[in-house]
Amino acid sequence: MGFFVERSRTFHRKKILVFASLVFLAALVLVGRLIYIMVFRGEYYIKMATDLEQRERDIKAARGEILDRNGVVLASNASVCTISVIHNQIEKPEEVIAMLVKELGLSEESVRKRVQKVSSIERIKSNVDKETGDRILAYGYAGVKVDEDYKRVYPYDSLASKVLGFTGGDNQGIVGLEVKYDEYLMGKNGKILTYTDARGVEVYNAPEARIEPENGNSLVTSLDYNIQSYCTQAAQKAYIKKEADGVEIIVMNPQNGEIMAMVDYPEYDLNQPFVLTEQYEEYAGTGEENEYLNKMWRNWCISDTYEPGSIFKIVTTSIALEEDLVSVDDRFYCPGYIYVEDRKIRCHKTTGHGSESFKEGIQNSCNPVFIDVGLRIGASTYFDYMGKFGLLKRTGIDLPGEAATIMHSKDAIGPVELATMSFGQSFQVTPVQIAATTASLINGGVRVTPHVGCKIIDAAGNTVEEFAYDSSNIICSEETSETLRMLLESVVSEGGGKNAYIEGYEIGGKTATSQTLPRSANKYISSFLGFYPADEPKVLVLVIIRNPTGIYYGGTIAAPVAKEIFENIIPYLDK
Amino acid sequence: MAEKQKRRPRSISYFDYNLLFILIFVIGFGLVMLYSSSSYTAANRFSDSAYYLKRQIRAILLGLIPMGLLAGIDYRVWKSFGLLAYVVAFGLCTAVLIPGVGNSSHGQSRWISLGPLSFQPSELAKIAVILFLAVVIEKVPKQMDSLNGIVKVLVMLLPIVGVIAYNNLSTAIIVMGIAVCMMFVASPQYKPFLLIGILGILFVVIFIFAAGYRGDRIEAWLHPETAGDKGYQTLMGLYAIGSGGLFGKGLGESLQKMGHVPEVQNDMIFTIICEELGLFGAVCVIMLYVLMIWRMMVIANNAKDLFGALLVVGVMAHISLQVILNIAVVTNTIPNTGVTLPFISYGGTSIVFLMSEIGLVLGVSRGIKLESMNT
Repeated sequence: MGFFVERSRTFHRKKILVFASLVFLAALVLVGRLIYIMVFRGEYYIKMATDLEQRERDIKAARGEILDRNGVVLASNASVCTISVIHNQIEKPEEVIAMLVKELGLSEESVRKRVQKVSSIERIKSNVDKETGDRILAYGYAGVKVDEDYKRVYPYDSLASKVLGFTGGDNQGIVGLEVKYDEYLMGKNGKILTYTDARGVEVYNAPEARIEPENGNSLVTSLDYNIQSYCTQAAQKAYIKKEADGVEIIVMNPQNGEIMAMVDYPEYDLNQPFVLTEQYEEYAGTGEENEYLNKMWRNWCISDTYEPGSIFKIVTTSIALEEDLVSVDDRFYCPGYIYVEDRKIRCHKTTGHGSESFKEGIQNSCNPVFIDVGLRIGASTYFDYMGKFGLLKRTGIDLPGEAATIMHSKDAIGPVELATMSFGQSFQVTPVQIAATTASLINGGVRVTPHVGCKIIDAAGNTVEEFAYDSSNIICSEETSETLRMLLESVVSEGGGKNAYIEGYEIGGKTATSQTLPRSANKYISSFLGFYPADEPKVLVLVIIRNPTGIYYGGTIAAPVAKEIFENIIPYLDK
Repeated sequence: MAEKQKRRPRSISYFDYNLLFILIFVIGFGLVMLYSSSSYTAANRFSDSAYYLKRQIRAILLGLIPMGLLAGIDYRVWKSFGLLAYVVAFGLCTAVLIPGVGNSSHGQSRWISLGPLSFQPSELAKIAVILFLAVVIEKVPKQMDSLNGIVKVLVMLLPIVGVIAYNNLSTAIIVMGIAVCMMFVASPQYKPFLLIGILGILFVVIFIFAAGYRGDRIEAWLHPETAGDKGYQTLMGLYAIGSGGLFGKGLGESLQKMGHVPEVQNDMIFTIICEELGLFGAVCVIMLYVLMIWRMMVIANNAKDLFGALLVVGVMAHISLQVILNIAVVTNTIPNTGVTLPFISYGGTSIVFLMSEIGLVLGVSRGIKLESMNT
């Protein structure tokens, strides 16, 4: 007999039952809690635990190279180091922090934060040169890891800097071709996944996964190292001699739009893209530093627009020829000015060219002749042709940051606007647009897409992908193109472009001198566009000198630069 | 409680083999899990992966002696030792606070050395309080009928609880909890216990906020992710539990035991059970404890006298409180407090005294007469 019967205090049994029930209830609540954590929150905790236990070590993929048309390497890779810390392996945190601050030149605060963070591995700095990496390794501190890595190097420093662009700390393209073709160049980092214990020691015989890196493919460009180098020198010479704000040179194959050289002097050192060049160095360390870095990286050839000036007479001529509104021998008279409505527009020769044929008009770059022709064409037709020639769109060049044409709306073009447009004023286009449109007009009428990237090759040199650019758009007749080439040849052999004349070679071209806005600043842009050979152009050269001091006529200062370039590259191209 | 009344021709002595076998199973399972969770850190720290396992086995073998004795001797003998147990436990718990006598571990002195053995007097205090209270209530059961009497008994316990609480709040809470549970069963009243419960919770809350280092624990409880080092243990435990899924990674496959979870063989061993055996394994472990509690409930219900029943209720309260608190802590249901999982967590003193308590319960079970067995 139990004591309950003896003492008849039966409540004990009930109380025990109540107590046990409370315990079972608590157990049930805890089971519920476990279900919540393990089933509903499981995914989250598994992820967090994996992050902690699994150390992911990147095996860096080498970024693809950038080559010129002949295989000269313009952008390559060098071995550098990535410095990381493994929190739980660090034995002397203060010494490690002090050492990293000293060797890497980082702020103590940022280093401390990373060293003290509880994670399986924490990156401190990448792109550390190998010497520093070796020095850090030599300290022998536990928990400090130095991994080999690649860094982008540009063997020719500033050559084609505005075209190539550079990469950031993660070997990712930031500007230029590097960003445009990033997906091809980048490759895929491989990974080693290992499990580690709390000290960061890899767990013996735990499963290790390895994902092999895929190196990036290389980009073959249409650039020519020799031409690019030569043009850079020519631009530099003009820049210094004319104390200009900048000198742009574009060398293009007018048949297919391939860009052989694109210079926007002053260039910057691609190996030190965050160091301001001489031009802007006064802003280093100021709040405006970033703004000027962006300016320094900016490719004027594609990202800025200007009034093309007389070079645009090529377009007016083409429209007039297409519309049959003028023939080469039509006579004009230039008294040195022309009235359009009530506006008197002067010719650059204020005394006037007198009586002249259309051919002489273009040789003289006579404004009244082109105003006359422009008015014959009419605003609507002129505007439509600009559209047809591709002037109202971007060229579609394979470089980031191309600017659009700044143009009147069709309705806003009155006679005065039309007159100024006829000789390349009152609207703005990019240099590359001028080069591409002229190339299309003189190549027989095929609208070309200017481009730098030609194909992607793998490490073995096999073509992975060849880029095709549209060439189906015919913008003018073969006849117009031929007449135009003849006229422009005469400009160089007999007219305003004679400073680009080289004996024995048929070169076509057109000069331009345009005053920048505001006109009161008296700043000019001198330019010359030439091509060779005149009857079947293989190469087109556009030279732009911005804000030269002293003489600013395109024919006087830009044409000789183009001539020098022709003298050097014609034998090279004819070879 | 579906067990039918057993009728035998002769009145023979009962012995609860159910409880014994549940205990053997839990201890065996505990050793497997202890080895699984501790081998990696043991190998690193002591160059012996079985370091903790060997010491635990030694403690279990040692624990067999008091367990056997307590199970074999008529429990009524202990009635005369109630006060003595209390005084000895109080003395040792006080002695541990004296510098030079107590050994420090984790910044708090909880150990005392007796020759080659060192043990935690706070573990002794639990069984001592169970015995003492059973004796006291047995003598004056009517005291439990009034709030006044209940408070009187609680006051008697204050010295020892205070001494334990001085450096080990969680043990003090458990001792207090055991006492309240025993009185709850002994008393026909409900209301006073509701009041004690509320006051107890209030007291713990105030105590936590009064002591600065315990305030950090609250922060670690509410936001283990952002509490930094304070929340580290909790967070690592949650990672381990959450990684288990329904059926776990498999025995021995835990990754969190690789030093990520601090005290993995100790307070946090349940997290590794969850990681390796999953929700299924964790629920099985809880079921084992529920089974154990249930067996003890059956024994308490059929105990020959109130003294026996109270002894069993005390042990029941001790084990269930530790299981609930331990699992609640590792699942971050309540703020972190150091409570071990009975029979499974590493800890020599704890397992020796727990086995002794089971021995006591088995002793009580022997006093049951089979024909009156009522489950």
